[in-house]
Amino acid sequence: MKTYIVQRLAIALLTLLGMSIVIFALLRLAPGDIVDILFSTAGYISDSEKQAIMKELGIDRPYVVQYLDWLHQIVTGDLGKSYRYDLPAWEVIRPLVPVTLELAALSMIFAVLMGVPTGVVSAVRQDTALDYALRVFSLAGLSMPAFWLGMVIILGLVSWFAWIPPITYVSPAKDLKLHAIQFLLPALAVGYRSSALIMRITRSSLLEVMREDYIRTAWAKGQTGRIVIWRHALKNALLPVVTVIGIEFAFLIGGLVVTETVFNLPGVARFLVQAILWRDYPVVQNLVMFTAIVVILSNLIVDMLYGVLDPRVRYGG
Amino acid sequence: MSRSRALRLSTMLGFVVVALTLVMPVQGQTPKSGGTLNIMLREDLSQGFAIHESSTISTVFPAAPCFNNLVQFDPAKPIESTDTIVGDLAEKWSWQDNYRNLVFFLRKNVKWHDGQPFTSKDVKFTFDLLREGPDAPAKLRINPRKDWYSNVEAVEAPDAFTVVFRLKRPQPSLLSMLASGYTPIYAAHIPPANYRTSCIGTGPYKVKEWRKGEYLDYVKNPDYFIKGRPYLDALHYVVIVERGTRTAALQAGQLDVAFPGETTKAAAEQLKKAVPQLVITPVGTAVTDNIIMNGKKPPFDSMKVRLAVSYAIDRRGLIQAVHQGAAVLGAAMAPKPYGVWGMSEKDLLTLPGYGKPADMKDKARKLLAEAGITAQHPLKVEMVTRAIPLYVDMASFVINELKQVGIEASLKQIETAQWHAVATRGEYQIGANLTGLGVDDPDANLYENYACGSPRNYSFYCDEHVMKMIDQQSQELDPKRRLGIVVAIQKKLEADAARPMLDHRIDYFTVWPHVKNLVPHHNIYNFARMQDVWSDK
Amino acid sequence: MAVRPATIAVPARAHPTFAPWTAVARFVRKKPLGAAGGALMLLMLVTALFADILQTHDPIATNAAYTLGRPNLEHLLGTDHLGRDIYSRIVHGARVSLVVGVASTLLGSVLGGIVGLLSGYVGGKTDLITQRVLDILQGLPLLVLALVMSAALGPSVQNVVIAISIPIVPRAARVIRASVLSIREMQYIEAARSLGVQHLRIAFRHILPNTIGPFIVLCTAQLGSAILVEATLSYLGLGVPEPYPSWGRMLSVSAAEYAQKAPHLVLFPGLAISLAVFASNLLGDALRDTLDPRLRGS
Repeated sequence: MKTYIVQRLAIALLTLLGMSIVIFALLRLAPGDIVDILFSTAGYISDSEKQAIMKELGIDRPYVVQYLDWLHQIVTGDLGKSYRYDLPAWEVIRPLVPVTLELAALSMIFAVLMGVPTGVVSAVRQDTALDYALRVFSLAGLSMPAFWLGMVIILGLVSWFAWIPPITYVSPAKDLKLHAIQFLLPALAVGYRSSALIMRITRSSLLEVMREDYIRTAWAKGQTGRIVIWRHALKNALLPVVTVIGIEFAFLIGGLVVTETVFNLPGVARFLVQAILWRDYPVVQNLVMFTAIVVILSNLIVDMLYGVLDPRVRYGG
Repeated sequence: MSRSRALRLSTMLGFVVVALTLVMPVQGQTPKSGGTLNIMLREDLSQGFAIHESSTISTVFPAAPCFNNLVQFDPAKPIESTDTIVGDLAEKWSWQDNYRNLVFFLRKNVKWHDGQPFTSKDVKFTFDLLREGPDAPAKLRINPRKDWYSNVEAVEAPDAFTVVFRLKRPQPSLLSMLASGYTPIYAAHIPPANYRTSCIGTGPYKVKEWRKGEYLDYVKNPDYFIKGRPYLDALHYVVIVERGTRTAALQAGQLDVAFPGETTKAAAEQLKKAVPQLVITPVGTAVTDNIIMNGKKPPFDSMKVRLAVSYAIDRRGLIQAVHQGAAVLGAAMAPKPYGVWGMSEKDLLTLPGYGKPADMKDKARKLLAEAGITAQHPLKVEMVTRAIPLYVDMASFVINELKQVGIEASLKQIETAQWHAVATRGEYQIGANLTGLGVDDPDANLYENYACGSPRNYSFYCDEHVMKMIDQQSQELDPKRRLGIVVAIQKKLEADAARPMLDHRIDYFTVWPHVKNLVPHHNIYNFARMQDVWSDK
Repeated sequence: MAVRPATIAVPARAHPTFAPWTAVARFVRKKPLGAAGGALMLLMLVTALFADILQTHDPIATNAAYTLGRPNLEHLLGTDHLGRDIYSRIVHGARVSLVVGVASTLLGSVLGGIVGLLSGYVGGKTDLITQRVLDILQGLPLLVLALVMSAALGPSVQNVVIAISIPIVPRAARVIRASVLSIREMQYIEAARSLGVQHLRIAFRHILPNTIGPFIVLCTAQLGSAILVEATLSYLGLGVPEPYPSWGRMLSVSAAEYAQKAPHLVLFPGLAISLAVFASNLLGDALRDTLDPRLRGS
């Protein structure tokens, strides 16, 4: 087991290194840099002033030097300075992280709460009208653009109720009820989309397991149908569901970006888009690495769980 | 007295009281102290409070409450001109030596937000910084308005409360430029770079907290030099990037004040329908739609082709289609009542492109035919514009107009980061552009956009005669004569199709009714101090 | 799913007999939902192909006199804030969405498929390294990757196609590789190798045809995702530029602004996107059930 973990960690580290190179290169590929944007807010451009600012920010150095400098910063725990705000990147990002994490967690919870039971019901009542209805409903969530859903919700609220959720972030410490209201709708919107995949996997996984011999045996032994399903089938069906939850987390970021923008939640995802548009390299690089680490960690944990739940894996590598 | 007499007396008194309240002007309402206003921001401050290092309303509007100018345009009057200039940090001022020297007598007992006293040293520091004087103690990283001060020979501070601007030649416009929202006074004891992250000013409000990308909080400055001001306790500027959410928040009452220049006529109608008590004021913005054409390269080095473009565009149609009527015709300077230097309606009609659309398009086709361009041999060009819907809509309309006269333009959207580089370096053929002016002044506008060699003269227009006229009007002391020269310049610019003006935008500035005394100006940059604003909640 | 290799029923011959019409009829009968999805997709294809005929107005012609107009006989779905006919724009938008969606899906899937085929077949160190590289690409959030690529390449149809296809490559490679791995160990492959048949020949003649099934499933699944990403990019202003009408761009700034006065501005383009993605998902699901019953779990 130990070698397995060490192996996976080493691979994860290499992957992260590769990702850092990719994101570093991609960003530099995008035309224009922070200095161009600064000049655009000033409404003119001056090549001599540009050189001076590039030197001040250190972006006139060769790319390799900048890359190594960045790696060095990460290793020493220094997350660099935001080009836009002239402040340490961590200081600017720190208040945003809990908002996104909370939104992501709430969304995942809604996704599981919506996806698993509908998947079970759909599997148990396979090929009935209910099954079709649930599948259509769930698929609709996957098909709607996240930003459109958010837009329609806000517009519906303001047209019919003359009310929208608070547009300034309310911390749970200040007003828990208002905070809950603020997060409820966006979490539901994002969760609805993620629930689709979870519902599908639950359904198909359960269908497959229910065909297995040992389920049929348990049925024949006379235990009541429901207990059979819940106890034996679900436990085995859960494996791929757990995998998918891990994968979905990565897809979540896309939905979070537009949802945070539409509902005006001060999260990391929304900030990331602004940082990309501003070519704020340190912020973008560090944020993307952060998401990459989260994704890889969650994959690692899922793999670990797999190793625990399915002994075949541990020794196969 | 008898009962009936007392009754009659009291009824008479009642009538008098009622009559008085009806007759008393609405302004008779006494301002209340206290309260907070929630104000819309369409994006986060781009360079913090460093107004001198930026040219965008996104910095000026939220940063203004922290500062004061030497002089300002009267906050209570929507129109801005030399007649409406009132003091801010300067109590009195006077032109001397035939508009060659400008002397300011500063207020005493003004303190910076950190307690330091305000003196003439701060004024000298600010303007030496701006004009990049030889012995300036500091330097701005970016200096977009350096050219405003190219005529300033020296700035002297003979004593703690007197400042003298010595000019190389007479320039009456200098005073107007000092009144613009773009000209606050920095503190001499604060490094200019600090203004990008925090703000030490003399203004009515102190910065409490700036949550990046989220909100900006101000609190009342208790030591403000005007007693009793500001009325409000706090200002809360909220960043909402998504346009639909912004409008919804204003409608739902979570925002009290809209962002200047952001409320279109259609949005205003929608808001009014949903919330009839909203106060909506149509105002000029000092923002124009115009066409830039690269005069250095074919095909737009030919004046015939440029004129044809100007003739082809139905400006009234554009105003209706793109702005739903929320814009007015005008040449380089804003027309009355939005500005004082514009051309009259009668004069405008003589300019190319302002007649009947069908006739104008015929004229355009004729001109193009003379240049060898016909329906059989159309001209194919690439039109650039910024990748912002505001620009794209305008460009789409123009492309459709040009199509009808034989110019086929494809649209290329340029990301913000590259726009000014593309325009300044002439890496384009034709472009749909927006220009915002910090102050309705011919010097500020004409030098910046039409002077030979000016970096923002994106069309590379260079006419010696026009340059002479620009210099002439800059030194002309008689206002009537000066207006005459400015009008003549505008006529020539349109006749040369230097940068065809399409319209001057109107904003339907919206506030909730409890917001009192926030008078929008015909210029989005100059009414953001919030000094006299109060809330009736 | 690294652990359970997908098992596929390997046909006795590499190219089974295929009677198209009976197969389609059977499909419609057994999978009505999928058939409905297929029909919708066909409708979209027809709309895209014949957009010039189906339109009622020039999609880029503005009309100052009738802005934000309600749907009526002349303008079936109303007009937008510039007076442009929404129905015609949606019809042309189908072209953009379909072209960009199909092109990027094919590009990404084919590239990824080749990588997966070779990686799975060659195995060993090459496979290990390729897998890590794919991990890297897949670890970056899809939208962020597309965003950065779009900004990097600049707005144009080709660049948007490239930007959207890149995140598809690792996903395609994964699926194809998994199917290759399962076939590789099959007896008849070993037999062919022992007979001295060249590797490349084996790869392309025997293994490739059996990956067609998962490939088709993959493509239809990714198509929906590609259309969504294109819509989101357009909405953010980074998608295909004017004057091509794009459903996503029709929903950006201006639409949200006027939505209360003219809700059809927001409803119709959004419905169009949703229907297109919905249809491709339905079709994809049904195809998956038909072509690879045991792949349902992954």
